Amino acid sequence: MRKLTIVIALLALALPAAGAESPWRLGMALGYGERGNPLVSADDIPVVVDLDIAWFGKRWFFDNWDIGFTFHDGRRMTASLIARARSDQVFFGRAKFKFLNIAMSGEALEDQVPLRFPDRHFAGELGVELLTDGRWGLLQINAFHDVTGIHNGYEVSLDYGIGLRRGRWYFEPGLRLAYKSEALNDYYWGIRHDESSSVLPSYQAGAGINAGITLRASYHFSKRWALRTAVDYESLNDEIAASPIVKSDRVLGYFAGIGVRF
Amino acid sequence: MRQLPLILISVLAIWPVSGSAEPAEAPAEPPPASLTVKPVLCIVDERTPSCDLNIVIAWRAPRLGYYCVLHDQDVAARRCWSESRSGRTSERRELSESIEFRLEQGESGIPVARATIDVLRKDSDDRRRRRRTRYVWDVL
Repeated sequence: MRKLTIVIALLALALPAAGAESPWRLGMALGYGERGNPLVSADDIPVVVDLDIAWFGKRWFFDNWDIGFTFHDGRRMTASLIARARSDQVFFGRAKFKFLNIAMSGEALEDQVPLRFPDRHFAGELGVELLTDGRWGLLQINAFHDVTGIHNGYEVSLDYGIGLRRGRWYFEPGLRLAYKSEALNDYYWGIRHDESSSVLPSYQAGAGINAGITLRASYHFSKRWALRTAVDYESLNDEIAASPIVKSDRVLGYFAGIGVRF
Repeated sequence: MRQLPLILISVLAIWPVSGSAEPAEAPAEPPPASLTVKPVLCIVDERTPSCDLNIVIAWRAPRLGYYCVLHDQDVAARRCWSESRSGRTSERRELSESIEFRLEQGESGIPVARATIDVLRKDSDDRRRRRRTRYVWDVL
């Protein structure tokens, strides 16, 4: 009952005063989709509900688990400090324990050996974000560093997106490049000596660049309701793709469902 | 057993009669006036800050009379019909804000139906609203 009261209160706050833009952005999409899992012997990640919960104050903001503080908001650019979590751990949470009689190298083994996936954790990261936009689209540049001592690495990324209208359809294609440092790549995709076994050789991952492409398409039935679809393709850098626990050098995500904005 | 078809025919013959034997209902209320506009939605963003629309307006009323269709953005652009119970018109208009059309009855201008073309804004003065978050579970 308490949760329901909080949801109702949030919805009430989300309704903007006449002519004013609400500081809240609340939305939800119900449907089905998946995020591919590049790990061997791991399930893809199902996506049934996509929640969009965001609040934007003059300086502070919360945007789907990112917490930001805007220190510059000019005509050409917005610059913010961002605290966020790194969620690559989710891939490992879907990995299944299994027995193998063939090593990752392809060599046949006499006995079945358990494949134990290494433990990986969420990391807290702090960074800077620059946003600039125009009729040509939106460019987002991020630089994040681990501040929780989990991977001690960093990532620099560049996102570009543009909105294209066609009747009730709205298309948002996007491109992404992300440089991942050696420490970041090695924490998640490397295999330490104490984690290696006869089926899982040790591996040290270096730095690399992931590239991605996204297409979101919405068909709007009304101001609030829309059919929402998305396809997201990410090419993993060679250092990740060569890891013995990685089966694929790409991650495909997709979703289709009905979305509502409150 | 031979009488079974006869019984069935009798039942079928009585069926509609029994329905009409119920007390006659009071005359139904005439349907209320209706006003429809097409399209009903316009999407705007930085690249296309307005929609250039050919708006088709249609109305229907239960009784003959004097009716006008007008909207809040331009009261002078009203179209009126005399001794009519339906009408259809169209107008070309550039929209960047939602617009409400009204069907008014008589010289007194009593609104009897309304219809809205909503404007969905994809742009914002706050560019942070368009930022992308990168979590594994975010596909949209």
